[in-house]
Amino acid sequence: MQVRDYLLRRLALLPLIMLGVSIVVFTLTRFTGSPVGIYASPNMTPDQVAALEARYLLDEPIPVQYIAWLGGLFRGDFGWSGVSVAPVTDVIWVKIAATLELALAAGAIAIFVGIAIGTIAGVRQNKWPDHSARLFSILGASTPTFWFGLLLLVPFYLWLNWFPLGRATPDIYDSVTHLTGMYTLDALLNANPVAFVDALRHIVLPATVLAFGAMATIVRMMRSSMVETMSEEYVDAARAKGLPESVVVKRHARRNALVPTSTVIGLSFGFLLQGAVAVELIFRWPGLGQWVSSAILAGDQATIMAYVLVTAFIFMTVNLAVDVAYAYLDRRVVLGG
Amino acid sequence: MITTPSGTPSAPRARRRIIPAVAGAAALTLLVSACGGATQTGTNSGDELRNAGVIVHHQNGEPRSLDPARTEQGEKGEAFIDNVYERLVDVGPDGPDLIPSLATEVPTVENGLVTEDRLTYTFPLREGVVFHDGTEFTADDVVYSWERVMTMNLPEGQASVLVDSVESLRAVDEFTFEVTIQEPDASFLYSVVLNTVASVVSPDAVESNGGVEADAPNEWMDANMVGTGPYRFGEWNRGQSLTMVINEDYWGEPAKAEVRWDITPEESSRVIALQAGDADIIDISPSNVDDLDGVDGVSISAEGLLLEPIHLGFNMRADELPSGDTIPSDFFADKRIRQAFSHAFDYETYIASFLDGYGARYSAYIPQGVFGYDETAPVYEYDLERAAELMEETTYWDEGFTVSVLVQAGEPEFEGVALLMKDGIEKVNPNFRVNVVNQAETQFDDNLGEDPVPYALWVKNADPGADPHQFFDPYQHPDGDWGAKHGMRDAYEDPDLIAELIDAGKSTVDPDERAEIYAELQRILHDDPMWVYAAQEGLAYPYRSWLDGFTVNPLWRGPHYEYYSKPTG
Repeated sequence: MQVRDYLLRRLALLPLIMLGVSIVVFTLTRFTGSPVGIYASPNMTPDQVAALEARYLLDEPIPVQYIAWLGGLFRGDFGWSGVSVAPVTDVIWVKIAATLELALAAGAIAIFVGIAIGTIAGVRQNKWPDHSARLFSILGASTPTFWFGLLLLVPFYLWLNWFPLGRATPDIYDSVTHLTGMYTLDALLNANPVAFVDALRHIVLPATVLAFGAMATIVRMMRSSMVETMSEEYVDAARAKGLPESVVVKRHARRNALVPTSTVIGLSFGFLLQGAVAVELIFRWPGLGQWVSSAILAGDQATIMAYVLVTAFIFMTVNLAVDVAYAYLDRRVVLGG
Repeated sequence: MITTPSGTPSAPRARRRIIPAVAGAAALTLLVSACGGATQTGTNSGDELRNAGVIVHHQNGEPRSLDPARTEQGEKGEAFIDNVYERLVDVGPDGPDLIPSLATEVPTVENGLVTEDRLTYTFPLREGVVFHDGTEFTADDVVYSWERVMTMNLPEGQASVLVDSVESLRAVDEFTFEVTIQEPDASFLYSVVLNTVASVVSPDAVESNGGVEADAPNEWMDANMVGTGPYRFGEWNRGQSLTMVINEDYWGEPAKAEVRWDITPEESSRVIALQAGDADIIDISPSNVDDLDGVDGVSISAEGLLLEPIHLGFNMRADELPSGDTIPSDFFADKRIRQAFSHAFDYETYIASFLDGYGARYSAYIPQGVFGYDETAPVYEYDLERAAELMEETTYWDEGFTVSVLVQAGEPEFEGVALLMKDGIEKVNPNFRVNVVNQAETQFDDNLGEDPVPYALWVKNADPGADPHQFFDPYQHPDGDWGAKHGMRDAYEDPDLIAELIDAGKSTVDPDERAEIYAELQRILHDDPMWVYAAQEGLAYPYRSWLDGFTVNPLWRGPHYEYYSKPTG
């Protein structure tokens, strides 16, 4: 199948999957109780609470409520976010931009560093770089994000003040027009180097912490597939042709080893979104993760549902992109097969 | 607590903040190996002044609304409103006494501003006060502001405070405001005039941004403020920060430093931000305050107690109970059982561990720091033998029981009460079981909003108040908010006497007489307890020592920044 056809088929499936996700998330959140509490206060009389329930159709059966909610989604109405005291659609774009910026930065670090370390480890199998890489990936996989974040904050923020908390220094933030909500990008679009450096200083630490876990997976995968490809006959053939070792590793072995790794990269983006919850809390990064954690504590269902839908969408889109990249990396792959 | 390079705590009190200590040691190792030797280790970067001239307060949450007509009691918005909007009267940095604010005098019967029947209050108003939008403040604006709240009548806000009290409002002349109330109320000035809902807003600003609509919120007012206070509203960067700007045209002494609220939900991060010097004041749970004791450049203000006592509620008409609960619906109508529960709670451990020593006992039912609190009133001692004796007199001693206690998730101070209650009761008799049920805030509120509450026990704190009636009426009156819901009338030994005394407390103006009434109530309600009176949380704020004049009156809803100053460089 052509890449184009495959892409079209996957894109056609996307709304169906989203519909499925929406049914599951709606039903499950409703099982935790009525969302009327987000509007009600303990001082209200039962009549006032009943009036609120009627106003938001919460006295109707769940399927009716679902249809009403779904209808709202189509009109661009995701409901009222109790924790933000604003319609979900008013705040969600800012949160998405914040989390995406963080996840993309973390993803970039994880991919580049992970592939580099994995490659070296695979080439130098059972030598000290390999052992250190394995130790590194065990640490990455087993260190709780929450703890690792605090661990880095003490020297790099408290003692050295290289990387501050938050997303930007308020005065510098105000000097920039925010077109995308991604501060590093906004600073570049404004051609404002001061703001760019400021945004970088704020993003380095949280992105590194977030990247650590994903990086570990990438290192392990890259290392083992490098070990495998380095023993393939075509690598020997390339060497026999007299190609320099660096060319053998980079052109022949690494490119093929990247194929299985790219799948892991797609999946680890899910871990990045998940890990963002803890990282955003610690580094006071006002993204989706921080938003949903306060929503969960508050039982704010509209926010929780919007969060699940958005992350599901991002996750599926990234994986689609990875699958397409897969076909590019390995021409033998027949998509949709 | 500062950690030295080796991770050894420098102060002997170091106990709980293990993370920075371990983190310090581990991170240091990383640093040394990565950079070939770190240079500034062990010295907090926070010794140099940061954010010169701006007081940065790291908050654990964000306001839900900045509209006095809509904020819930105890919510973040109230603390912000206190600095931007003003009321007719206020309390200063010291003591509980009322001081004039937009009014030039505090009305009393003696100065003739309260009528003999104690129904009509006259407030002479300050002239020359200007709203932040430049319009002049007059008596009509007070009438407008109060009527606005009553018209909007938002159930999530505190409109009922005005609706239930005010009979009529009137602007006598340009600078005289008069209010007539429905019945004599000794707590009127504290519970109504000092309340957030009685804040004076600019009618011009409201009218040009949505006006006033009955039973509906005004979204513009949720996120904008035009008042008369020492601070003007700056900006609200959702999820990140809110700012206050000095009002240079303030009628009183102008504020000395700008203010920024940074929203930092994670407590460890707030603690680190304070140590680094980026935060000047932080919100903190009492159990973590000690960790900052002795840190260079950090002071701790631990004066006073929050006027929101933490209690465990008994429901005497728990008609619907969670599955697994074996008690009858009127289980707690038996006074001996309520007394036994009161004896089975380890108050000292609660204060020492869950509040880290920042807390105190209160009596039934009035917190320390509020008029009428009787130091000699009896309180329950943790006494499991006495609890066993009381329970032995009932039929449950042999058959045992299971009961669930409802608590809001993510509130360690409340969870602690539930856990210690469980611990105590289960020690009294192995046949007794207490299940702790954690619920998210909305579900918790939803359950408490039901009538009857579908749980027999639950933990929360009282709404803050400045007058004893604000505690006795909703929490102890047999026909009050909780009294009616919990069936207190059927459970009290002498409900009529209690109702009579509480009503008399409201209408009695003579302070000595009033104090006597409340002293008697504290004795009766100790013997016939409707709550486990767990403890009052201490009011503890760690702050950077470079702030001058930092103090927080427990009657305030948060810091009043106008009293503090910070070096400008």
